[in-house]
Amino acid sequence: MTFRIDTTINGDRTVIDVDPTLTLLEVLREQLLLSGTKEGCGVGECGTCVVLCDGEPIASCLVLAGDAAGCSIETIEGLADSGELSDVQRAFVRTGALQCGFCTPAMVLTATALLREDAAPDAEEVKKALGGILCRCGAYPKILEAVLEVSGEGA
Amino acid sequence: MKRLRQFAYSEPATLDEAVAALASGGEDARVLAGGTDLIVDMKTERLPTSAVVNIKKIPGLTGIDDLGEATRIGALTKVTAIEGSQLVQQRHPALVDAASVLASPPVRALATIGGNVGRASPASDLGPALIVSAASARIRGTMGEREELVEGLYVGPGQTSLTCSDIITDFIIPSPPVGFGSGHVKLGKRGGGTDIAMAGTSASVVIEDGVVRDCKIALASLGPIPFRAPTAEAALSGQAPTEETLGAAAEAAAEDASPIGDVRASASYRATLARVLTLRALRAAVASSGGWVVA
Repeated sequence: MTFRIDTTINGDRTVIDVDPTLTLLEVLREQLLLSGTKEGCGVGECGTCVVLCDGEPIASCLVLAGDAAGCSIETIEGLADSGELSDVQRAFVRTGALQCGFCTPAMVLTATALLREDAAPDAEEVKKALGGILCRCGAYPKILEAVLEVSGEGA
Repeated sequence: MKRLRQFAYSEPATLDEAVAALASGGEDARVLAGGTDLIVDMKTERLPTSAVVNIKKIPGLTGIDDLGEATRIGALTKVTAIEGSQLVQQRHPALVDAASVLASPPVRALATIGGNVGRASPASDLGPALIVSAASARIRGTMGEREELVEGLYVGPGQTSLTCSDIITDFIIPSPPVGFGSGHVKLGKRGGGTDIAMAGTSASVVIEDGVVRDCKIALASLGPIPFRAPTAEAALSGQAPTEETLGAAAEAAAEDASPIGDVRASASYRATLARVLTLRALRAAVASSGGWVVA
């Protein structure tokens, strides 16, 4: 059985037939081939699968495909749609805010969502916002540095 | 991670349709609210699931409303909405405390208050906060509508008194009297929030003329369900809120607790946490009532 959903992915209206027993993460990676979103634990503990849903970071491994209907979903691929890296992405590159890179899409998207809400978060606010995402390389200090570089507070 | 096993999926448009879908789906039909517990339980095969009834297309199940005598919170209201609500902060501070430490931001943005109560985790964050706030749940089932105290819904780990076709539609929390204050404190392995509680405690007080007239204390991860600590409550009622009386109530809470040891904490450590966290929750409750703890 499939189920038709009408959604927006990285700004483009997307009407697709999905298997309702798939998660949003599986649809993004396997059906739409947007493999920038990563699966870590698969049970909502590591935050690696974060995408933005109507601007808000959510754990896509816990969302059934049907619930993506009517939403505007942004994945890491959407940030550099024009071919230009976003401010946050550039700051991550400049600062070297990653080692293996597996958590990076989630970190970048979550930081992007935070900075849209608040152009100048301080270190505590950044830590709180990124608190749901695990980085097993322990790149946290550089990640914080990168986000603060974009934040008005860090300038 | 494993894929979900096959199940029948429906998105009813009304409560009646949803109740009917659950009733015909049998005991392995599940209500899907935020999904942050259900999807995990399905992936780990803790819960056999034949049908998923997604209730998010049903109108009227979200929102926080001031009813004067009470606050109404729709069952599908997201934890982030509770965390950011001025009205809830003003009236039921323990609930905001609990919402702000429930899991992590990308989970709180999905999780709902109704789902958190319906899942009946012994480690629930919102459960004890709702209990000390004297909250009731409104429930729709095959027999119509009814209202029950949240405290009475919990039966065992992961079990409520709800039948398979019951749906929690909203919560009604009475507006507190003058002198009321409440707070919630939790400790998880990854700091205050993010993780499942090793222990969590909520407390509420009504202070009149410098004396605690009413006191409610509820514990999580310290027994099979979120539950009241009657000895601790009795120890503080009628007393002036001092470090000594709060400390005595906290000691009593450790006696009321019946913790188990597991991967997150040993039983004896949890008993210590029951005392320490109850003391902190009581201090927070007294402070939010506008009173202060006499040293």
